[in-house]
Order: sequence, then C-alpha cells, then structure tokens
Amino acid sequence: MSGDLAARQAELVAALVAGGPLPPGFAPAPVEAARRALLRKRAADVARHWPLLAAGLGAHWPATFTAWADGRPSNGSLRDGWDLARELRDRGTLPPLGAEELAAREVASRYDGHRPPRPRLMPAVARAGGAVAAQFAGRVRLLRPAPR
Amino acid sequence: MSGPSGVGIGWRPEIAGFVAGLPGLRFVEVVAEAVAPAGPLPDGLAELRGRGVDVVPHGVRLSLGGAEPVDPARVAHLAAVAAALDAPLVSEHIAFVRAGGLEAGHLLPLPRSREAVAAVVANVRRTQAELPVPLALEPIAALFDWPDDELDEADFLTEILDATGALLLLDVANVHANARNRGGEPTALLDRLPLERIAYAHVAGGAEHGGFYHDTHTDPVPAAVLDLVRELCQRRRPPALLLERDGHYPPAAELRAELDALAAASGHPAVT
Repeated sequence: MSGDLAARQAELVAALVAGGPLPPGFAPAPVEAARRALLRKRAADVARHWPLLAAGLGAHWPATFTAWADGRPSNGSLRDGWDLARELRDRGTLPPLGAEELAAREVASRYDGHRPPRPRLMPAVARAGGAVAAQFAGRVRLLRPAPR
Repeated sequence: MSGPSGVGIGWRPEIAGFVAGLPGLRFVEVVAEAVAPAGPLPDGLAELRGRGVDVVPHGVRLSLGGAEPVDPARVAHLAAVAAALDAPLVSEHIAFVRAGGLEAGHLLPLPRSREAVAAVVANVRRTQAELPVPLALEPIAALFDWPDDELDEADFLTEILDATGALLLLDVANVHANARNRGGEPTALLDRLPLERIAYAHVAGGAEHGGFYHDTHTDPVPAAVLDLVRELCQRRRPPALLLERDGHYPPAAELRAELDALAAASGHPAVT
C-alpha cells in the first residue's frame, strides 16, 4: 500500500466532501466524525460570508446548510451561500433577511452559478423572495424589504 | 524583530480592537491567506507593527503534505506576506488540504509512512527555497488515522524536522486532542519530540461532541490543555505561547483571563 499517495489522498478527500466511498482500511466512525465536523466548519465559514442568510434561518441554519452541503464539494463560502440562497428562494423557504441579502448580492455582482461572481458594471435592479434591491455606480440600496 | 516571545494571540479582524488594547503584547499571528501583501496592511496589523509587535504569518492552505508539488503561487504569496510584515518566521502545517481537484476545507492528516515523509520533505524544501525567513511546521489534530502507518507520531515528526531543518510549532491542544481521540499518552509524546526546536506553541480551546474531542478554536481552553502547557514548560524553557481563537468570541474579560492563564502556566509576564 505505497507508491500511490496522490490517489489515496484523492479518495479520502472525496469520501469527506463529495459523498465518495470510505477508502479501504479506514475506521468508519472517526472518518464520519471528521466528515460531520467539516460540514459544521463549512456552515460557520458560509455564515460569515452570508450573515443575514444565517441569521434569518437562526437555529435552523446548521441543519439547513449541512443538509444542502452534504456530498457537495465546496466552491468557496461566497458561492456556497449564494447557491444555497437561490435554492431556498426557488423552494419558497428563503427567510426575509436572506432574501434581502440575496437581492443585494444579485444586484451588485453577476453570478452564473458556475464561475466566480463578477461585479456588475451597469446599474441594475434585482428581486429575491419579495425583496428588491438596486445598484447604481456600485452602491447598493434595498428598495423594498422582503415581506415579513 | 526578535522572534516570538511571551504570550501572544491570533490576530483576527473581529478582535482587532481587543488585541490592540493588550499593553504587554509582543507577538501575534495572522492567517497568511488573509493578507494581501501588495495592498495596505489591515489597520490593526499596521498599528501593531508600528509598536514593534512581531507578526507571524500562519499559512493554512499550502498543503505541504500533498502528494503533488506545492503550488508556487501559494509559496510566493507566503513569502511576500512575510516580507510585507517584516516577519521573523512563518508557519504552516504538516497536513494536506486538497487532492484530486477537491478542496477538503480543513487540514487533513497524512499517513505516517516513508512515502508521506518524502512528500512533505520535498514540499517543505521547495517552500524554504523561496522564503526569506525560517519556516516552523505544526503537527495537526486529527480524528482518524490512516490504516498503514509505518512510524509513530514522534518518529514521523522528527524525521521531517531533521530532513528539512524546519522549526517546530507545537500545538498543545492538538497533542491533547490526538491523545484523547487516537490514543496514547500526551506527556509521553512530549518526552519524545525535539522540544528544543520549538519556535513557539499554540494553545486553543475545544469541546466534546459525539464522543470525540474537537479542536474547535471556538470554545474555552480546557483545564487539561493548560495542564499540558505546564508539562511542556517543565521540560524546557517555556516557549512563546499563542492563543488561537477563531469564532464565538467571548467577552473581553474572558479572553483576557485565558491569556492570563497562559502567562500563569508558563511563567511569562501577563500581557493584559
């Protein structure tokens, strides 16, 4: 079992963050504990980038995030939170604070869901979950809060 | 620029005001990836440098333990941060953080094998060749072991340090966590590590969760970790100690009390 460190490291990372199988020989319970700990750490990291989304979900934030992130490798905290907020919007479960944060992000940057977000150069208006935000010359204003 | 001394704390933007208000502070650490070396330094850090406080860049994403060669751009960034901060040294981990195109999001343990030693040594040498200052290596906390370890922890670490000439950043909380979760006597490990190579030591808090001790950096420092600080300080001249706190920041009085507890355990002067 040597000479293939790269492949074995890749298998382990896939098991921890991408829903891959447990590599042979590893003890299942400690690796599972590490996998869960990584999800909690990711939840805390994303909450720092999306404080209103996390605050809006309150006590439900850790479970909501980890259920979404389980088996889904990270694209970085900014994009992870963005993808989750859009999914909650589409499900109709985005809380008002999260809707306002999402609208503000959508109006400030262009994000196609695949590549890193890029600042919008032109004025824009964006809606999310009933919230409306506008951006002019890089300044973002919330025109209408999400309904409570 | 004298190198880490006394009791320090990990500088984070959220506690910059608290850190700036510590009158006896001689050194801090900053997450290297959070510093843009070409731009102006964050306000609080520039002020600390102006006071003569040493700032040690602490890398977390170099992946020195990766089977692939370390990314030259990441090494160049670390070197540039060290230069921008006029740092006495930099530190990184004996760990890998990505493989197969996926980011793990955290520090992962290596197999304690000859193959892994060779991979780490090669990456440390590549890094040292570009750094303007010495490099200290930190053994990590892990919840699990690889199935085919050939070396024990002390031999694994000593071989890496001997082959690279790197300094040791000993994380006392990691020693506690590993003994608690993976077995072994923490003081027995202290007895076998090359303690004379310690550049400074980390201390952090953690919590029990699901039958494991998690080195969270978001909980208070447990008494068992402070006991281990005392054990370390009985075995050699007390090294500089750095408190790591990465979230769930407590009221200032609690953070001051943790710094004072480190001073008391080591005999260093209080920095508060």
